[in-house]
Amino acid sequence: MSFDILFNQFLSGIARGAMLFLVASGLSLTFGVLRVLNFAHGSLYMLGAFITYSIWKFLLIPVVGFYVAAFLAALVMGVCGVVIEFFLLRRLYSRGWPEQLLATYAIILIITDLVKWQWKGDFYSIPRPPPFAGAVFLFGFPFPSYNFFVILLGLGLVVFLWWLVYRTRLGDIIRAAAHDREMVSALGIPIPWLFTWIFVLGSMIAGLSGGVSAPFGSIGLGMDIDIIVECFAVVVIGGMGSLPGTLLGSFIVGQVYSFGIMFKPQWALGFIFMVMAVILIIRPWGIFGRPER
Amino acid sequence: MTQNPLEKERSLLKRGWWLILLIIASMIAPFILTEFYLTILCEALVMSLFALSFNLLFGYMGQLSFGQAAFYGLGGYAVAMFVTKVNFNFWLSLLAGPILAALIGLIVGFFCVRLRGIYFAILTLAFGQLIFVIIFKWHKFTGGDDGIQGVFPPAYLKSAMAYYYLILFVFLASAFILWRIINSPLGQTMKAMRENSERTEFLGIHIAKYQLITFVIAAAFSGLAGAIWVPFYRSVAPAYLTWIKSGEPVMAAILGGSSTFFGPILGMFIMTFFHAYVLGFTHFWPVIMGTLILIIIFLLPGGILGFAQEKLKERRNRQNQLTEE
Repeated sequence: MSFDILFNQFLSGIARGAMLFLVASGLSLTFGVLRVLNFAHGSLYMLGAFITYSIWKFLLIPVVGFYVAAFLAALVMGVCGVVIEFFLLRRLYSRGWPEQLLATYAIILIITDLVKWQWKGDFYSIPRPPPFAGAVFLFGFPFPSYNFFVILLGLGLVVFLWWLVYRTRLGDIIRAAAHDREMVSALGIPIPWLFTWIFVLGSMIAGLSGGVSAPFGSIGLGMDIDIIVECFAVVVIGGMGSLPGTLLGSFIVGQVYSFGIMFKPQWALGFIFMVMAVILIIRPWGIFGRPER
Repeated sequence: MTQNPLEKERSLLKRGWWLILLIIASMIAPFILTEFYLTILCEALVMSLFALSFNLLFGYMGQLSFGQAAFYGLGGYAVAMFVTKVNFNFWLSLLAGPILAALIGLIVGFFCVRLRGIYFAILTLAFGQLIFVIIFKWHKFTGGDDGIQGVFPPAYLKSAMAYYYLILFVFLASAFILWRIINSPLGQTMKAMRENSERTEFLGIHIAKYQLITFVIAAAFSGLAGAIWVPFYRSVAPAYLTWIKSGEPVMAAILGGSSTFFGPILGMFIMTFFHAYVLGFTHFWPVIMGTLILIIIFLLPGGILGFAQEKLKERRNRQNQLTEE
């Protein structure tokens, strides 16, 4: 096995890891602040992909059509986020986690049928948008340049989230709320308002990543569960609610998948689970996570 | 006021006449019901067993498993494989279901019991999905997307009525065993772990060990439910292992009341018959299920039986107060 093949696999792994980070970061952010695990995060991602497709198809703007569609889909998912947080989750913060989990599970079922009803359960795809339509040759191997777009976007999100969490006043509040919610509330900061905005931000990231995933693969029913299971692997490995952990977890899962698929395509998910199992034995709360209280 | 779940259960059983009535009714049901409703009743019984095994983890041990359908499906696949591929004895094949489910449950449980709460739910879901993907993609061995057809029971069990009695027997026997487990020292340990795992650990109880035992028992009974269902339905498919299927016992438990023994059974009966009714005019079942879950969470916390017991206890307390005065 020569170096160029390995490098190619490595780069594909990075692209896949970036895609995973786009989705998992929203999940992790929501959990970090709200302490609610959003099972429906994958469904928001799926809905974002389908909405991107429909807007793209409707607008048919050359060159920038896809980017506009993905951006608009993110906004639509933001509105969805407001509805879900305001009408459902907000009433459940005082209840136990099983109820919160079940409520987001109910949202999955509703979104699944919504997509089945509106898009008939077919598969769709969006061609890679310019200027990322072609391929770049690296060591003689064609590498889709759209993958670089995904990697760049992933890096952009890392920088944005880092800036948001560690360099702004909102970030101070976010970190404080993740640490001690009651104290933040006692300081006069409206916690419900904060929760709504964080959930909206998470939903928008989910919608955007769904849109971005459309030219990456194909859009279809079942993409929600596929991505959420890999995201769970990411957050279990990296540590729930931790930004560096999510980044590292995405990188590991992306690489394991990319090299696993080289040896035995059907077992790629199995390899990811083996890594997860090892982490669970050594550090059950993940590499960057905090032990449960 | 502190409530003792065990006492609650006993007081329910004391009024045991309705239980005997129900069993007699289920005995004569095949002579009254049409073939269609008999089929639904069979499904309700099998799914109730599935829900009971799930509730061992959820209601009694306090951990939410979102991958229980994997064990249900594994049980079904084990029977289907043994019957169609190696022409094994039917009764031994049935036994293979819970055994395979228990073995896989032992492996999966080994990792899952290290975690609690949300993390436990995530991990069971993830492992359930892994088992689903393996069965789905291993086309040569499991038939992949097509599943396995032509899983026939022996000739004397081919009629729906005969098979119904087999299902009824397995259901009653399993429910009895599960009832005994819940009221055994092991059951007390489960409840102790649910109420306060730290204190339980300080009592010298090895939490992970007892959780693993419970997990394997639950997996075995889920496997038994799948094993008994597949020969009745004559086929098995990967759809049996999806997380939608895993969600069904969760929903049955919260609908009927997860804090009671009979809650999941009641919930599953309502769901199965409602499902059969709804399928008559729409195939959008998940959206109805999702809406129902939200309605229960917001309007009926504790489920039907949980709500009823709450009311009964309130009335009893009021009467006690009156007599004291």
